[in-house]
Amino acid sequence: MTTQRLHPRVRIVWILRAVLAAAILTAPVAGGYYFGYLPEWAPVATGGVLVALGVVHAILRYRQWSYEIREDALYLDRGVITQVRTTVPLVRIQHVDSRRGPVERGVGLASCVVYTAGSRGADVRIPGLTPDGASDLREELKRLAIRADGEDAV
Amino acid sequence: MKLAPQSVPYRALQKVAGIVVVLFFVVNDSGWGFPAAAGAVGAVLLVAGGYEIAYYRRFEYELTEDTLDIRSGVISRREREIPYRRIQNVDVSRSVIQRAIGVAAVDLETAGGSSTEGSIRFVTPEEATRLQREVQRRKSAGSTGSASDENDAVGDPTGPVEEDLFAISPRELALVGALSFDGRLIGLLAFAGTGSVPVLSGYLPETSALALSAAAVVAAGALFLVSWAIGAAVSFSNYYGFRLSRAGDELRYERGLFRRYSGSIPTEKVQTLTVSDNPAKRALGYATLSIETAGYAPGQGGEYGSEAAIPIARSGRVYELAHEIESFGEPSFRRPPRRIRWRYAVRYVLVVAVLLGVAFAVDWYVAAEIPWYAPAALFLAVPPAAHLKWKHRGYWLGDDHLVTRNGFWSRSVRVVPYYRVQNVIDSRSVFQRRWGVATVIADTAGTGSLVGSDAAAVDFDIDEATDLRAELGERLQRALRDRREPEASFEWLEGEPAARDEADAKGDDADPAGPDRVAEGRDASENLERDEDSERDEDLDVPDGVVRPDFSTSERDYSEPAERVDTGEYAVDRFPSDANVAHRPETERDGSDDRNDSDDSSERSDGGPNDPARDDVSDRSNR
Repeated sequence: MTTQRLHPRVRIVWILRAVLAAAILTAPVAGGYYFGYLPEWAPVATGGVLVALGVVHAILRYRQWSYEIREDALYLDRGVITQVRTTVPLVRIQHVDSRRGPVERGVGLASCVVYTAGSRGADVRIPGLTPDGASDLREELKRLAIRADGEDAV
Repeated sequence: MKLAPQSVPYRALQKVAGIVVVLFFVVNDSGWGFPAAAGAVGAVLLVAGGYEIAYYRRFEYELTEDTLDIRSGVISRREREIPYRRIQNVDVSRSVIQRAIGVAAVDLETAGGSSTEGSIRFVTPEEATRLQREVQRRKSAGSTGSASDENDAVGDPTGPVEEDLFAISPRELALVGALSFDGRLIGLLAFAGTGSVPVLSGYLPETSALALSAAAVVAAGALFLVSWAIGAAVSFSNYYGFRLSRAGDELRYERGLFRRYSGSIPTEKVQTLTVSDNPAKRALGYATLSIETAGYAPGQGGEYGSEAAIPIARSGRVYELAHEIESFGEPSFRRPPRRIRWRYAVRYVLVVAVLLGVAFAVDWYVAAEIPWYAPAALFLAVPPAAHLKWKHRGYWLGDDHLVTRNGFWSRSVRVVPYYRVQNVIDSRSVFQRRWGVATVIADTAGTGSLVGSDAAAVDFDIDEATDLRAELGERLQRALRDRREPEASFEWLEGEPAARDEADAKGDDADPAGPDRVAEGRDASENLERDEDSERDEDLDVPDGVVRPDFSTSERDYSEPAERVDTGEYAVDRFPSDANVAHRPETERDGSDDRNDSDDSSERSDGGPNDPARDDVSDRSNR
């Protein structure tokens, strides 16, 4: 299987999340303005910078994200500030979820979570899939994991 | 089986002792007088005693053929079955009081969940030991072909012979105490200490800056000494009378002064080995070995720094023991590129600069004449520090193990069998990318990784890291294949190459289903190239009617919606997910983890007393 990219709409999910985070982070600054400690432009500037950062981050993240199912492992490449490449051997897959959060449902997307027994990368989430794509991926990974049929090694 | 009867009063007292004392004083002081207080206490004790009697009556455990069943619960009942094969460790602990009244607590750990899965409180020490031995015996009876099996087959009820590996000498115990200095304690004490500074400064209004800095130095020295003494005392009581022995395929340890621990670590379940030391230990030629399983690191249950399997021993001895558990050969580490020393130097310079800044700010704020520029002397230490950090990093790829090394002050060498790798993570931070390096982490199911102590090859060239990641994945697949084809690997390791071919040929001739079986076994386990091979000469190898699953991964892009037909087709027809049901028995046999020749084990099982259990368990575990 060739390298797969996420659905472009996943950027909307990430941008919405960034806006939410920016709103929460701006709240104290806005409070400072409300009580007269800070000038009027402070919350606007904070919010603007945070949203801008979030949007850039989301776009770069989308560019960076890719995954691939090879014959014996699932490969993921992601991360903007710290780039992380994960190799999940199919034998090590414990179970696979496909899930849809409220925001994801809003834009008609879903994600797929792959669990291993490892302690650090115990769950790997592939966002930005169509609902059908997510359940297909889940089935495919399930099929491949059953085929690989390894022992737990725990 | 029941708990020990004396556990009833002990449990009751253990639960309500605190409440009883408080209640007694509160009621006694509140004007109700002594009789009321005694009455209240009596009532509480009665209730607690009654509950514990009910608990005792309800609590039952049983060693069945392949599970340990525990039935418990007074108000909400619980029945739990723990398959022997899934048990990671069996630990017995006895505090001073428990030793006095002759009871012991037994804890059984499995890999799932964070808490202890089976906790039996309390049984007699003899029963605890019996449980420990029995669980081990039945577990090894489940996985055929293990070393202890031979002992079982002869009908030895006490299990395999115990062979001492290591017992701590008084000298080593003293060393453990002296060398177990923990920086975390300093932090804690310093935190507590700084809280008292404002209070103290009220009493010392007119001290000179010199006296102040002298006092600071003395305080730091005292802090150091106190935390050292505490650390020494804790590890002394932890490791008093430490003993490690090997019984069959299991390691057993015993330790503790006040609270006595004993436990078993199945060698089958070992995830990683860590050999750690610090400059002091290195200078004296000592090291520490810790063994990690998926359940937890032994003795770790919330306790302070006692996860070590071997607290201290001559480094030669430590490596010898480590080799006995995992034979990983003689590592020769590859170091990161030399230029990375500049990265560390830059990092340390920044740290020293920040220190200087803080010192200056303090000086400026309190307007004292303390020599704020003193930390600048640390700049001299930067080059050697950077060099040492680089020098102690490295990784090595052994035949079956990845070995990594990190850290100067507390250096740890981690040994991870390829077979235990859960996933491989390759990460590069912004700064690492600037230097063109990356970190590769081999994640296992061990719990040490939770506190960030994975086996990691840090700061290697991006190309090298990419190769390492690919290599680890490949070696995991190879390790899996070796496990799945026990015959082949067994013959190959034990005999000459020529002899092995001969044996293979003979085996094929002798077994009527031979060629087919071999082909199927390989198909199920080997990867794509292999499959293509066998697909080409499918007619030769495969009799009619055998399902041949197509193992090629599909080209589908999952970020696009599926076409209805496509899904239906591959889910049902082209790639049925239960395709290997047809040769299920084969894969099952091959997939079981007995490394040894399975013919051998079937021969042996003729006379073995544990036959049914053995078959049962291995069947079940693979389903």
